[in-house]
Amino acid sequence: MDQFTFDIKIVADGKPLVDIRDFSLQRNRVTILLGESGIGKSLSSRGIYGFLDRSELTVTVNGLAYEDYLHTDQVRGIRRDGFFVFQEPSSHLNPLMTLADQIGEGSFSGVPGMPEVLRTLWEGTSGEDLDSILSIYPKPYRPSGGEKQRILLAMALEKIDMLPDSPTPEALFVFDEPSGSLDNQYRDLFLSLLLDRYRKRPFTVLLITHDYSMISRISGWHRDIMDKVQFRELTRGECGLAFHDFQPGTYTAWVDDLRRSAESRRAPHGQEPLLTIEPRLEVFGRTLVITKDPGGKIPERLAVPPGRMVFVKAPSGTGKTTLVKRVMGLIQEGAFEATLKGMPLTGETPRRFWQEQVWGKRMTMVFQHADEALNMHSTMRKTLLGLPLRVPLTSKGLSRLIGDLFEGSEAGVLLDKNIRLLSGGQKQRLNLLRGLALDTDVLILDEPLNGLDFESATKVISMLLRKMEAGMGLLVISHNEEIFDALAGADQTYYLHAV
Amino acid sequence: MKTRTKGQAVFRFAQRSEQHVRWVCFWIAGLGLLWLWDLFFLNSPALSLVRTALFNSLLAGLLVVFFSMTLGWGTGLLVYSLEKRKNTLPYIVVTFVFNLIRSLPQIVGILLGYVLLTALIVQDILRSPFLQLVSMSFVVSLFVFLEVMDLIRERIAHYKQLDFFDAMLCCGIKESRIVNVEILRKNSLAHLVHKGVAVFGMALFLQCSIDFILSVGLSTEVSSTNFPATLGSMLARMDSKQDILAISMVFSDPSYVTSLFTRHLQGLNIAFALVFTLVCAYNIANGLVRRYHL
Amino acid sequence: MQRKITEHIGSLAFVAIVFAVLLVLLKQREAADRQARVKAVAPYLSIPGCDFGNPRDRALFNETLNLFRPASPRANDTLISAMESYRQSQFTDPNLKTGAGEQGLTWHVLGRLSLMYLQFVLVYGIVLALTFYGAQSLGIYRFVRMKQGRGSYLEEFLHLVSGPKVRGRTPSRIMEASFLLLKTFLKGAAYAILFSPAYVIGYSFKASFETDSLLFMILLGVVSNGLLVNYANKFYTLLATENRKGYVETALVKNLSGEFFWNAPGGIAYRSILSLPRHFPGHVLQHIYLNARHQYFPTLKEQASFLITGLIIIEMALNIQGHLCYELLQNILYRQYDVVLTILFGIFLLVKVTDILVDVRHHREGLRYENKN
Repeated sequence: MDQFTFDIKIVADGKPLVDIRDFSLQRNRVTILLGESGIGKSLSSRGIYGFLDRSELTVTVNGLAYEDYLHTDQVRGIRRDGFFVFQEPSSHLNPLMTLADQIGEGSFSGVPGMPEVLRTLWEGTSGEDLDSILSIYPKPYRPSGGEKQRILLAMALEKIDMLPDSPTPEALFVFDEPSGSLDNQYRDLFLSLLLDRYRKRPFTVLLITHDYSMISRISGWHRDIMDKVQFRELTRGECGLAFHDFQPGTYTAWVDDLRRSAESRRAPHGQEPLLTIEPRLEVFGRTLVITKDPGGKIPERLAVPPGRMVFVKAPSGTGKTTLVKRVMGLIQEGAFEATLKGMPLTGETPRRFWQEQVWGKRMTMVFQHADEALNMHSTMRKTLLGLPLRVPLTSKGLSRLIGDLFEGSEAGVLLDKNIRLLSGGQKQRLNLLRGLALDTDVLILDEPLNGLDFESATKVISMLLRKMEAGMGLLVISHNEEIFDALAGADQTYYLHAV
Repeated sequence: MKTRTKGQAVFRFAQRSEQHVRWVCFWIAGLGLLWLWDLFFLNSPALSLVRTALFNSLLAGLLVVFFSMTLGWGTGLLVYSLEKRKNTLPYIVVTFVFNLIRSLPQIVGILLGYVLLTALIVQDILRSPFLQLVSMSFVVSLFVFLEVMDLIRERIAHYKQLDFFDAMLCCGIKESRIVNVEILRKNSLAHLVHKGVAVFGMALFLQCSIDFILSVGLSTEVSSTNFPATLGSMLARMDSKQDILAISMVFSDPSYVTSLFTRHLQGLNIAFALVFTLVCAYNIANGLVRRYHL
Repeated sequence: MQRKITEHIGSLAFVAIVFAVLLVLLKQREAADRQARVKAVAPYLSIPGCDFGNPRDRALFNETLNLFRPASPRANDTLISAMESYRQSQFTDPNLKTGAGEQGLTWHVLGRLSLMYLQFVLVYGIVLALTFYGAQSLGIYRFVRMKQGRGSYLEEFLHLVSGPKVRGRTPSRIMEASFLLLKTFLKGAAYAILFSPAYVIGYSFKASFETDSLLFMILLGVVSNGLLVNYANKFYTLLATENRKGYVETALVKNLSGEFFWNAPGGIAYRSILSLPRHFPGHVLQHIYLNARHQYFPTLKEQASFLITGLIIIEMALNIQGHLCYELLQNILYRQYDVVLTILFGIFLLVKVTDILVDVRHHREGLRYENKN
């Protein structure tokens, strides 16, 4: 058979989580799977691979009870010959075993090639750094999220190298958000290494991602194998979950459109910036410098003008999130100077001032992980109505607010549903709505497109553009450089460096 | 046919219901069956004593849970606010005192508390049995509430680590609301209920143990007759002790086991009620862990 | 770490000072009480022909008081109580004890207490080690059973009984159901023993077995008071929590064995659960166990405190003579507060030393895992 085909049904506590007919993957092809977070892409993939907990979930695959499915030759083959790189690399390394021990166990024990693969992914870093990294026990900040991701990807690439020359039809390599913690440089390097191996000897790849800029990268730099790559999207329709092909041109055309329309949206000069941040700040014993150039040579005061979006770029682990938390007054140690609508903000500003004058009044922030930022035991209605707004929300106002990001029928159903039962994409949209509802002068966004499918991402960007037109200033940190480069433009892009 | 259908319904309920629900029903049913057995085989003065003792013990357990939750919640918030303000000296003093209480074996602390209570009873300050029971429960809760306090602190610390806390602050929501409502009431209720069940079991065990020890005769002033009857004090009575001693007769004469459940009922009754309640509390707590993934 | 050690030493010093102050105050108060008691009743002690040990004489005295002082019944009652209190104190006054040991904290008494204390520490150490090991073994056993997909025997019984009936298999079904019921009953009995307070088990065996021996005390300390089962549960919970973490999935992807059936190829061997040190090479359980064990270690502190509570209950409730807590009981009765406070301080010291050792070891291990070695 030239494809993997699965009918998957996953039920938890009597509630169906996933019901997909014909989850199919072409053998020896690269499938890029798109779709909003929480729709079932990862869950289905884990189900296929045999990782689901039978005590908590009722799973059937191809009509077989999960216990029986796990004993089929297909699953044995997938697990023997394939590899799975999970999301959230931080939790996928054991903190009580050295990295060297972890990359040398199981099917990798005694394998000589591993460190070489890792060195390739460590390009730009000296060999000494890699050796010292391998001897440590992984902690939350060391190695960084990106480094951990690269270690896991290196294991997958090594497993590909271990494939025998004879056909291995069950070899399935799944990469779940492989670029989630990677900077563009390493994302592109990983793609090159993966696709180079694919060119030498085809194997089946399932790459799950929200990083739509991968589409541009593959179609731009790996055009020769575009016929071997299929872009598919998993969406929720009236009849449940369904696959359909995703046209790469849809995305690239949209980005071009954004770029063009951003040109016409330059705010007139001379307007007082809503937020300014002096270039040097100290936090947790480190010095962060904001510059206008990627090389870090020209420190510049960051200014967020009204009606504009400012984009801050930095390699993973530099401290972008630390910067925005400092600006929000959530970290209250270290030297720092800023102004918000003319009000000075420094390291000595008392907490009470932040509470009474800043938080939710003149400035707010939308955090990266909706799962952490929202109260899982609340509902959409309570979350939005519970906000300390200047003018309380009426039910009409509430409907208008959520109508921007949720379809009419969808909104009605979701309004009183427990947040933990929403999909990842729905949670992220609610996360954004909460920040936007406060209607502050400045809105800071940390990875605003996290977990969104293409349609939702376009709606979010439209909403942000409308807010900008109304005079709101936005400060964005994101890995989606292609999109925010287009929106912010070079004149509103800054770089952050750790000194 | 009806009995069979009812039986099948019970089986289906037992099979499908959650572990904690099952064990609550099992506990109630177990005590109910015990009660029925006693009605037939236990003499009425003893039955009345046992009933009072069981009621007092369960009530005391619930009171300990109430006091521990209140104290734990309050001290948890106090330590959190001291820690946050970087107010070093009060924080150090408070945590020092709590660590000291933690290092003291609970039974020793409760014993000293009971000595004080006896003095109050002897001086006629604590007159009513209900007030005495409340005081006993309060003394026990002083050596148990730290578990609740640790849970409160741990839950707050857990959410502070995530974006949850900061995200709510950024929305202008007051910190007291975030801690008390969003974290503790909405996101930690299952944890608190689980802890409450565990505290109930612990309270029952400690209280019965201390009452038993008092009965051995700690002093002429501190005596179990000062305090309301509980399972522990009932177990310490000479007739109950004789009943427990009779269990070892089964080793030499296995046929004696049938007489145990009719002739030595008082002591066995109390021991069974105590142990059965502890086992059920354990399984209910485990059921809650399983159900809510604690 | 330094701060923790300072806190531990500080609390030891604080408790020592408090006990010393208490001792002085109690002795002073005891002396004052004795004087006050004697002063209140002295005029009446030498009434000729009046024996206050005789209930008739006491009743006559009471009536006489009420006749002579009809306006102050409360004062009369107080005087009667004082007489009674004075009489009782005659029984507990160590100065009036005959044929007994020395009073107060002499060197000889201290020597005797030291031997009892060493015995207590020995029992404590053995019970702590056995419960630490036993809790982990039981926790791992329960975790492996959970991973095998097996519920409790009662659940298996209910499943069997409510399942579809297959013709011709009824006798074997009945056998299987009976066997499951028997296992359920035995498990219930085991739980009953494990949760029973020590005095219930002690008294159950007292008539047929030697319950004063050190071995019985150790056994009782391990199996009773819910110590073993509660800590086994804690360890199991840690294993179950770690099992849900991402590194376990990645370990499976690396083809470490995820087979949990007993002695199956790539599965878990019974002996690996009981062996020391525990290793599960090539199995995901090695990952899970390492993390659970690291988090479990600090619970030794609360386990120590709870264990000592249990040992105190055992020694006091079962009146085991020649043991430290029995001695504590006796000295409380005879108001030998210097001895009482010395013993209590010794118990507190034992808990503190355990806390310090656990903190130091956990800190050292933590330094290694924090890459600060």
